[in-house]
Amino acid sequence: MLATWLQALVSGLAIGGVYALIALSFSITFTTTKTLNFSQGEFIGVGAFLGVAVLYLLSGQDEGAALAPGASAGFNYPLAAIAVGAAVGVIGILLFITAVRPFAGKPGMSWVMSTIGFGIILQSIGLAIWGPAPVNLPSPFGDDVIRIAGAGVRPQEILVLVVAIVLMIGLDLLLRRTRMGKAMRAVANNPSVAALMGINVSAVMIGAFALSSALAGIGGLLVAPIASASIFMGLGIALKAFSGAIVGGLDNPRGCIFGGFALGLLEASVALWQAQWREIVIFLLIILVLAIRPQGLFGARTLDKV
Amino acid sequence: MAMLEVRDIDLAYGPIRAVTGVSIRVEQGEVVAIVGANGAGKSTLLKSIAGLLPLSGGSIHFEDADISTLPAHRRVGAGIALSPEGRQVFPDQTVRDNLELGAWSRRLNVGDLAAAVEQKYTLFPRLRERQGQMAMTLSGGEQQMLAIARALMGAPRLLLLDEPSLGLAPLVIRDIFLTIRKLRAAGMTVLLVEQMANLALGIADRAYVLETGRVTLSGTGAELLQHPQVRAAYLGH
Repeated sequence: MLATWLQALVSGLAIGGVYALIALSFSITFTTTKTLNFSQGEFIGVGAFLGVAVLYLLSGQDEGAALAPGASAGFNYPLAAIAVGAAVGVIGILLFITAVRPFAGKPGMSWVMSTIGFGIILQSIGLAIWGPAPVNLPSPFGDDVIRIAGAGVRPQEILVLVVAIVLMIGLDLLLRRTRMGKAMRAVANNPSVAALMGINVSAVMIGAFALSSALAGIGGLLVAPIASASIFMGLGIALKAFSGAIVGGLDNPRGCIFGGFALGLLEASVALWQAQWREIVIFLLIILVLAIRPQGLFGARTLDKV
Repeated sequence: MAMLEVRDIDLAYGPIRAVTGVSIRVEQGEVVAIVGANGAGKSTLLKSIAGLLPLSGGSIHFEDADISTLPAHRRVGAGIALSPEGRQVFPDQTVRDNLELGAWSRRLNVGDLAAAVEQKYTLFPRLRERQGQMAMTLSGGEQQMLAIARALMGAPRLLLLDEPSLGLAPLVIRDIFLTIRKLRAAGMTVLLVEQMANLALGIADRAYVLETGRVTLSGTGAELLQHPQVRAAYLGH
């Protein structure tokens, strides 16, 4: 009994870490530009496939065969993470320039449609290149289950949790302690006054989209060894992460992290009881939380009256 | 040539004309005031000088350079800083962080940044006491001091002050205007927008009266204080 709970706890924390990371990525663009990238899910899938492509390249394997278990070993996986972060970050800049900047700050919600559209385009390109079939991405620490107090834990789950936590602590420090982070928060609070300080507001917004997208891409690379890479894998993750962000408070980065983890843990514990009830329980709870606190648990205020 | 020359500018919010054909100039070392009723276009004019509002017509020249199209974030570096209407400090950042953000364009190293902050604390000792507090916890007067100090952190040669007395108690307003006198004594050039015409004209070397987007009167502060039209419209005599 204890072992099953422990197992649920670890998987909940691992998937919760990914939700938290993606929730944070929503928060980053929302606070700085008051817009969201609704194609974050596609960015996750593309991140995973770019990771697969980089691993093929690094391990010198032929594209015809599945990736060998050792393809992620050594520096290959961290190198793939850097490459994916950079590449998806650039896609994020492209998204900002083509689908967000023309509409941001204007009345209406054209950016909702344009970012969804960008995602659909991205997904179609991904399908054309990689096809619809899921691809196995080996974990850098192998797929052998580790036994901890009787619970079976996959090394990738630990890795996901550790990387997600390290990234989130890093981002929290960046936002709170560095001059760049303080400038980002200034832009989030009041773009025109930030410009009066000499801060290049457009550059900060581009940076926010690059960072947010890079996180989505790396999130995809982190989840792929658990769920296997698929161009459709991101939608569910992004939706849960978005729910986590809304529950925690979209304008509060730490609230988003909490929301992401809470959702992951909840998901894992409900699945222990009845797997098919998982989504129902989760979304009922989200609706309940929002009915009581529309701004989210830690949100400062209700969302803008767009 | 004057330090700042605003030549025949038009400003609009979408289809709504806010300022029409306004020309003003500010000489080095002067305190120049713009007075007028609420909605006359005073703040709009300052915003356009700071680069927050594009010109629909005319041009703005600063120290012999045409800055009409220079983006806002580069005007601080060029030497113009604005303390905006309603203070607009960054509420969820500390007093010290607000000040440091004011020096963003200068790319100072840690030592020089600390020295610049220290200098502002000498001017506003109250801010030193509050340096670790979030700006939103400050009183209105303290926030106004912070907004002015933050603008000064950009080391401007021209300081734009938008309604520094807005919503403040008389004693606090007196403090703020004492500070403006100190700044002038230290050689700062100031362009001041103010609804309290008596205060503004009392401190200004020269002033302009703005009415529904046009300059209707100009002269020295003393002249305008005595002007029957000004006395009737803005001083309640």
